[in-house]
Amino acid sequence: MPREVALFDALVPALLFAFLAAACVWLALDWLFVRYGIYRHIWYPALFRLAVFASLFAACGLWIY
Amino acid sequence: MTSTLFLARSRRSRALVMLQSALRDWWETDAITIGYILKVVLACLLALWLSLRFELDQPRTAMLTVTIVMQPRSGMVFTKSIYRLLGTLVGIAVSFVLVSMFAQERVLFLLCMAIWIGLCTAGSMVFRNHQSYAFVLAGYTLCIVGLPATISPDQTFNIGVTRISEILIGLLSATLVSDLVFPQRMWDMMLATVRRRFSDFSDLLRSVSFASADAATSKPALLRFVGDIFSLESFRVSTMLENDHSRAQRLRLGLLNAEFMEVSTSYHALEQLLRRQRASGHPEVSTALLEIYQSIGEAISIDGRSARTEQEAQQITGKLKTFRDAFEQRLAAARARLPHGLTPAEHLDFDTGGELLQRFADELYAYAGTYASLASGLGRSRAGAAAEYPLHLESHFDPLAVALAGMRGALALAVMTSLWIFTDWRSGIEAITIGVVTSTLFATAPSPHRTIKQFIGGAVIGTVLAYFYNFQMLPQVQGFLMLALTLTPALAVVAWMTTRPAIAVLGGSTFIIFLSHIGFNSAYSANPITFMNDAIADIIAVLMSGVMYGLIDLSNSRWSRKRIARALRGLVVAACREPLPLRRARLETAARDLVQRTGSTQRIADDQDQEVADWLLSTLEIGHAVIALREQLNEIDHAGVSSKLTASLDTIALLYASPSTRNRRAAISAIETAMAVITDKGQYAAASSRHQLLTMLHFIRSALLDEESVLTSVAPLTPAGEA
Repeated sequence: MPREVALFDALVPALLFAFLAAACVWLALDWLFVRYGIYRHIWYPALFRLAVFASLFAACGLWIY
Repeated sequence: MTSTLFLARSRRSRALVMLQSALRDWWETDAITIGYILKVVLACLLALWLSLRFELDQPRTAMLTVTIVMQPRSGMVFTKSIYRLLGTLVGIAVSFVLVSMFAQERVLFLLCMAIWIGLCTAGSMVFRNHQSYAFVLAGYTLCIVGLPATISPDQTFNIGVTRISEILIGLLSATLVSDLVFPQRMWDMMLATVRRRFSDFSDLLRSVSFASADAATSKPALLRFVGDIFSLESFRVSTMLENDHSRAQRLRLGLLNAEFMEVSTSYHALEQLLRRQRASGHPEVSTALLEIYQSIGEAISIDGRSARTEQEAQQITGKLKTFRDAFEQRLAAARARLPHGLTPAEHLDFDTGGELLQRFADELYAYAGTYASLASGLGRSRAGAAAEYPLHLESHFDPLAVALAGMRGALALAVMTSLWIFTDWRSGIEAITIGVVTSTLFATAPSPHRTIKQFIGGAVIGTVLAYFYNFQMLPQVQGFLMLALTLTPALAVVAWMTTRPAIAVLGGSTFIIFLSHIGFNSAYSANPITFMNDAIADIIAVLMSGVMYGLIDLSNSRWSRKRIARALRGLVVAACREPLPLRRARLETAARDLVQRTGSTQRIADDQDQEVADWLLSTLEIGHAVIALREQLNEIDHAGVSSKLTASLDTIALLYASPSTRNRRAAISAIETAMAVITDKGQYAAASSRHQLLTMLHFIRSALLDEESVLTSVAPLTPAGEA
């Protein structure tokens, strides 16, 4: 994967797309978790949400680099 | 010996109880404030650190973003962040387009800019809350990104990218901190609002004894409820990104709001009806109705007080259900007890009151049921019913107010830019930016003139603070830790200011001015001359927008009140005339939204606002009666009766379109003719609908005849021979 992508002739870090992709996946996961009440079993939902997002983003980033 | 020991122990336990309650008070109020201040400071410093770490050009933009989106409740922060991001993105995109088109033609450029800002300000008046903020932002981002770009067009892209990166960093810090550190969930606040409203409303129902009360007693409460309805709506919208069960309860909250509007309208109608009957009717009739009403009051009390929690509301729902089941017998018993020799009109008085009481009890039952079901968790059967209701309050606005706000924004830009161009002002861009920000941001405030006065105060404080920091503190700072320590006191104090409702605007504007002048970007870069120039430019710009709000202000004039009253009357006209009958929920929201937007609900002390309130309540009362009548009208297939009813609807519409004594009398006499036709059994035989039609018409007639109603101010009835 290239580290920078030309978006309308402007070089954009590929991490931006990784971020967006991670955000999309995360939103879907979040919706599922709320739908099935998974957050009720978790001690600190906010931290868990952040951790899920961080893992997703890091996974995407690792895939690029 | 034992007794003294006992006394000592009880004294100690009493002291302990007092300490506990003091602690609880502290925990519920002050601890939240302190936590909030801590969060603001933490998020600001995080944003600062991140921007310095990423070597971005303007850490202060990131900090400013944090202070703008920070709010005590996490859900609000998420929502405001999203809209700030959207507004900024749109604004930057438009800047790019404008710069690429008119970079050399400053007149065309500024003209397009003025049009865009005008449109955005107008848009901000149409939408509510955070959406409205996004529109304002899309407008003034053009000043921040587009204007510096006119001087050096090749830098446009960099300026835009820097701004968006800084804002993203600010938003990330704010949302992370407010979600992770002492998160305050929307749900608690919404539940508190809903609970308080229910118990306030029950208090109102139980405390008002119509026998002695004058008409004004419940009006302030009913108006406060209007404000409550809209703040609950804004909370509801903000729960979108929360992770607790408030998201799942959104539908139910919408339903709760709709039901509450209906029940409060019915309550007002009932109150007015009883007042009129006491003034002109038979005393026995109003006593009998009052007795039934008081039994509703008993049904909604628990141990002589109002319900405070959903569990108690559950009990009340049960009691209301038994009340409703026994309502017919109760009414029949009361009717049997009425003295003989009442005229038919007085019997009709009683029946009208009975119908209204029944409707009121039904709606109260539905409202209490929905409220009680909030506690019982997810997926109850009523959630299905919620889906059929309008999911959000539609917005209703005064086109003139929107147009004027747009014009004000564009005019502010025009004034500041011509000053800039003609005097070759070095701090022109700073002045234009602040001028446009202030003259568009407060367009939706209840009284922009007062808000801008506070803002000027904040600008002065912020300037002094920034001067002190730039030239006394910052030159001696070395390293991030010292910078953070130096900034903390100022951030904390100003954050505290934003938590006090009375000086929140003052705090907000201090933040804006302080953080836009603070003397470092990626390194210390304060210059006394530039600083003074920019500070003076800011003050001039804010004063200019103060003048703008003074010149173009719809919220404070007598004329604007008249416009609102006319718009409210227009709703009644629409209810009478539109081919498809208005839905009741639409009438309720439209009327309340019109009043809410003018901010009259917050200034109820003024006489003129009282008048607006009177019009609101009267519109709801008559409008609802008219809608019910039209629904009934659809089921009548008797040509004579329906033509008479249509004629009376037309005269009512005429009365509300152009109120005058003549039209009022015409409406009353048309209703009386219709009632005569319906009463005449030879002409109209359908007994079941006769009763209902008669009570409806009687209700409208008595409302129109009312000497104390707000109609009297524009269309007085001459007292001779009416009543």
